[in-house]
Amino acid sequence: MLFRERIPLLWLLVQATLVVTWCFNAEMETGPSAGVFAQSNSDRFKIEGRAIVPGFKPQDWVFSARVLVEGEEYVGFLRTDGSFAVNDIPPGSYVVEIISPTFRFDPVRVDITSKGKMRARLVNYIKTSEVIRQPYPLQVRASGPHSYFVKRETWGWTDFLMNPMVMMMVLPLLIIVLLPKVVNTNDPEMRKEMEQSMNMLNPNPELPDVSELMTKLFSGSKGSSKTGASSKGTRPAVKRR
Amino acid sequence: MAKIILLFLKLLGVLYTAQAVFEDQVGKFDWKQQYVGSVRFAHFDNQIQSSKKVLVATEKNVFAAINTRTGELFWRHVDKAGPEGNIDALLLQGQDAVMVVGDGRILRSWEVNVGGLNWEMVLDSGSFQSASLVGHQEHVKYVAVLKKAAISLHYLSNGHQKWIENLPESDSVDYQSVYSEGKGEVFVLGLVPHSHITVVVYSIDDGEILKQFTVEAPWMSDLQSSCSVIGKGMLTCVDASSLSLNMLDLHAHSEMNQIPLQSIGLEASSSFRPVLVSSQPNAARPPLSEFFLQIGPDQHVLLQLNNGQILTLRDFKPAMLVSFATTGEKTVAAVMSPKNKTASSINLFSAETGRRLLDTTLIFTMDPNGGNPERLYVQAFLKKDDSVGYRVIVQTEDHQLTYIQQPGRVLWTREEALSDVVTMEMVDLPLTATQAELEGEFGKKADGLMSMVLKRLSSQLILLQAWVSHLWKLFYDARQPRSQVKNEVTIENLSRDEFNLQKMMVMVTASGKLFGIDSKTGTIVWKHYLDNVPSNAAFKLMVQRTTAHFPHPPQCTLLIKDKDTGLAMLHVFNPIYGKKSHVTPPLLPQPILQSMLLPLMDQDYAKVLLLVDNQYKVSAFPSTKNVLQQLQDVASSVFFFLIDADQGRLSGYRLRTDLSTELIWEVVIPAEVQKIVTVNGKKANEHVHSQGRVMGDRSVLYKYLNPNLLALVTESTDQHQERSFVGIILIDGVTGRIIHEAVQRKARGPVHIVHSENWVVYEYWSTKSRRVEFSVIELYEGMELYNSTVFSSLDRPHAPQVLQQSYIFPSAISAMDATLTEKGITSRHLLIGLPSGGILSLPKMFLDPRRPEIVSEQSREENLIPYAPELPIRTEWFINYNQSVSRVRGIYTAPSGLESTCLVVAYGLDIYQTRVYPSKQFDVLKDDYDYMLISSVLLALFFATMISKRLAEVKLLNRAWR
Repeated sequence: MLFRERIPLLWLLVQATLVVTWCFNAEMETGPSAGVFAQSNSDRFKIEGRAIVPGFKPQDWVFSARVLVEGEEYVGFLRTDGSFAVNDIPPGSYVVEIISPTFRFDPVRVDITSKGKMRARLVNYIKTSEVIRQPYPLQVRASGPHSYFVKRETWGWTDFLMNPMVMMMVLPLLIIVLLPKVVNTNDPEMRKEMEQSMNMLNPNPELPDVSELMTKLFSGSKGSSKTGASSKGTRPAVKRR
Repeated sequence: MAKIILLFLKLLGVLYTAQAVFEDQVGKFDWKQQYVGSVRFAHFDNQIQSSKKVLVATEKNVFAAINTRTGELFWRHVDKAGPEGNIDALLLQGQDAVMVVGDGRILRSWEVNVGGLNWEMVLDSGSFQSASLVGHQEHVKYVAVLKKAAISLHYLSNGHQKWIENLPESDSVDYQSVYSEGKGEVFVLGLVPHSHITVVVYSIDDGEILKQFTVEAPWMSDLQSSCSVIGKGMLTCVDASSLSLNMLDLHAHSEMNQIPLQSIGLEASSSFRPVLVSSQPNAARPPLSEFFLQIGPDQHVLLQLNNGQILTLRDFKPAMLVSFATTGEKTVAAVMSPKNKTASSINLFSAETGRRLLDTTLIFTMDPNGGNPERLYVQAFLKKDDSVGYRVIVQTEDHQLTYIQQPGRVLWTREEALSDVVTMEMVDLPLTATQAELEGEFGKKADGLMSMVLKRLSSQLILLQAWVSHLWKLFYDARQPRSQVKNEVTIENLSRDEFNLQKMMVMVTASGKLFGIDSKTGTIVWKHYLDNVPSNAAFKLMVQRTTAHFPHPPQCTLLIKDKDTGLAMLHVFNPIYGKKSHVTPPLLPQPILQSMLLPLMDQDYAKVLLLVDNQYKVSAFPSTKNVLQQLQDVASSVFFFLIDADQGRLSGYRLRTDLSTELIWEVVIPAEVQKIVTVNGKKANEHVHSQGRVMGDRSVLYKYLNPNLLALVTESTDQHQERSFVGIILIDGVTGRIIHEAVQRKARGPVHIVHSENWVVYEYWSTKSRRVEFSVIELYEGMELYNSTVFSSLDRPHAPQVLQQSYIFPSAISAMDATLTEKGITSRHLLIGLPSGGILSLPKMFLDPRRPEIVSEQSREENLIPYAPELPIRTEWFINYNQSVSRVRGIYTAPSGLESTCLVVAYGLDIYQTRVYPSKQFDVLKDDYDYMLISSVLLALFFATMISKRLAEVKLLNRAWR
């Protein structure tokens, strides 16, 4: 009961936050245009943050990395501890990316109001007004190394053997070669037993024979034609009964 | 439904991963060259003797460390292009390099060993004048930045401001330089031109003005270029009009002491403006009391200031360049003087005495195809016996850096002109002599059966011989260790390979230096510096004759046009050897408006180049009788267009038989509303294989393949984000008929456009949604073709069907082009240069206006991808994997001899060359083809049949015996 009551409350809260973000957005829209008209040097701000590559020291990668704000409109560099600050940015909304040839970082959208209020959110190019907050000052974690290469299709025995065509070829072959050796067909008792088991397998004589189907299917291939031949050999025995 | 789409996309993903680079292909057919640009500041890192770094800051806003052993880069930092990233000053102190960037806007300190940033500070606004390291009590702790109206002192360790002081009377006094000698004072020197010098002395501790005085100097117009502090605070200025040195002791503020140059025995011509060169090796100590005075274009004098007296230590004549260098406690002067026409020698002299140091001669051989030496950077070091050794970097006018050690061994050269490639072409390599011989057999007329047979046999013999020698070479190379096998590329062994994958890249740079680069290895085969190129030139490179017309040499023509005056000149050269052609190009006295290469050829197989001057007169090059005759015949079908971007006018002209022109159409785009940004035609060497597309219901949708179609891009002059727009107009270049017009509202440039086949792809910035968007326009004739044999702009009554679709692209882009193949069968990809340095190969399939929103049976049959608003960027699609290419300015694509393969060159700050296979390698065996497997299987099968045959025989025999 208590739980049920909580849900509308939560919903209200969500709505409230939505309204708040909406207000923020409205402020945002006026931000850049104000920047266009009154562009003095005083209302310029800086975007700060830190880039982290788990498991690597900053010295190993910072020299090849850069911070790009909105393409190459503003450029920042990484300090030797992985932190960065991009200076001299007028109010507006910008996509901040950390560029490294080895590690992948997700871009973040940073909004700066004309008063210098900062906000970071996830980049969503389709729903541009959607707000999923990110921490500010930015904390950008590398999501792993870039995968530039595709694995070559390597050839292995298992791939070859597990191929269905090969399985279909090899298994009947094995049966043909090995069965006569294992089972002594000349023994009359054995033959009787086999006939019985065949009957067990094929209780309804009206149904089409599996082996016959196989012959039809693989009449071209050598191995299966042999299976066909061998099954033909057993068929008269069935009729004889 | 969504699931189906997802599944479909996944399937496509699987299909398209195959176009990526495989890891074992790295460096196999691709290469990258990194450049930094023309060097503005260079400092050798001499904190430790064994250091092998030189730090450079360049005109391209790049700060980099070059390895002095190899000439490669240790690291490089590319700042924003343009004035905001401009490097104003570079100061090196120990492990820290301090840089002033963007007209004094930002102060940065770099850690030199790792290449990481120490700190960055935003300075107050105000135009930058000068920066200097400030020492205090033998330690350099601060950096002083002088602006137009203020001076600030910052700690070197963290960049924090110690103090900032406004300069007195800064609106009348022009403060230009800052000086300190480690005594707790900072001197700021200012000037009121043609009146007096103002000196303000600040205390290092709190920025208090300790002293302030003015000195009359009515002759002086510029402080920085004519003055320098020498010795213990002696401001020394050279007066070009009275030819005298003027000295002022900054500590005892007295009058200027004038010393005529004649009184110290120097004769100077009044036409030359003398220049002072001084050196302050340590910021915590006063500068040297020795200095150079350049009194003529090739005369330098080493002078010494001794107790207020000037002594001449040595007179160097001729001497082109001089430089000071310090190692430990010793300071030396390096002097470069011409030796003969092709070489100059560099010698070291002791700075204190002017005595020449023994065994310090170094010979610099000048490239006859290069520029003159411009600057000298000297790296001095102490040898084991305490004598001074040195190496130098010579910078020449063509932005080349050469690192030389004694006695003249060139360790490396860097062609920094290649950081600014303007245009390029790829030219097929010529056939070898034997190949040419074989080709010749088919070209000649038949002369009897017997001789033909003999010729055939002899050529086959030649082939056999070549093959055997090739095998022998392979065998010989295989025995040698891999490192010893050198595949040096020289002009002699350059020849076309069997699939025409190796070509000559002819690159034109903004500095006027031309390069010929072998596309397979990246080796510079030839270079040629044109020294008479204006600084704001526009270039157009045309291949007039290819290598296909043996024995005529291939011929390229470079049109160099001064952007201001419109005056142009032609440079005709051989693209394989780089030599200037014997053909004399015509002189062009009138400004040139338009140039075009006609498919007509003269009797020597050179294509005809038409140039239109501002009187609308047309001249042809080559202009032989044969050419003029041909031109008269085809004149009625030669049309061209002119663009006047200022007036917004696009006009079409037609050639008359007397080589005058006639205006036939005109399109005016109101220049006050929108301006023409680019006009883009189709590539002349493009082939379209299929005339149409097969639809799901087996009918054919024919493409509208108009070779005369122009795509015109306009941008609104109103930059307000609500009202700005980007317009695109497709216009027929012959008739002036507007085929299609589209406007993208709430959008602005920069617009990148690719126009090919029957489609136009363009990219713009959507100001409303703050994202990059792509739009594609495709033109179709419909289900029937009006005239399937030939396309004529004049006879095409039906307007084409226009399809358009737009997409979101999740990154900014810096350059774009499309792949190009020999016959156009291979599917097309767009090559997109991203600011991150990647070059994305995006299948054109994703930019297809027929992508359906709802998947139907037919669309699946057609292999159409369901519409998704966002275009994907996958790192697997980066053709340059981790070899980032900075500031891509252009992407050049050329077909190779293989239909599947397209050669790609991306140029900008770096140059990257590779091959792409948009539809995979369908016409050659893949390079991972398993020869071992196929041969072992074959062999196994062979033996199996042999054995089973034998077994069967034995069995038969046994049965027969039974």
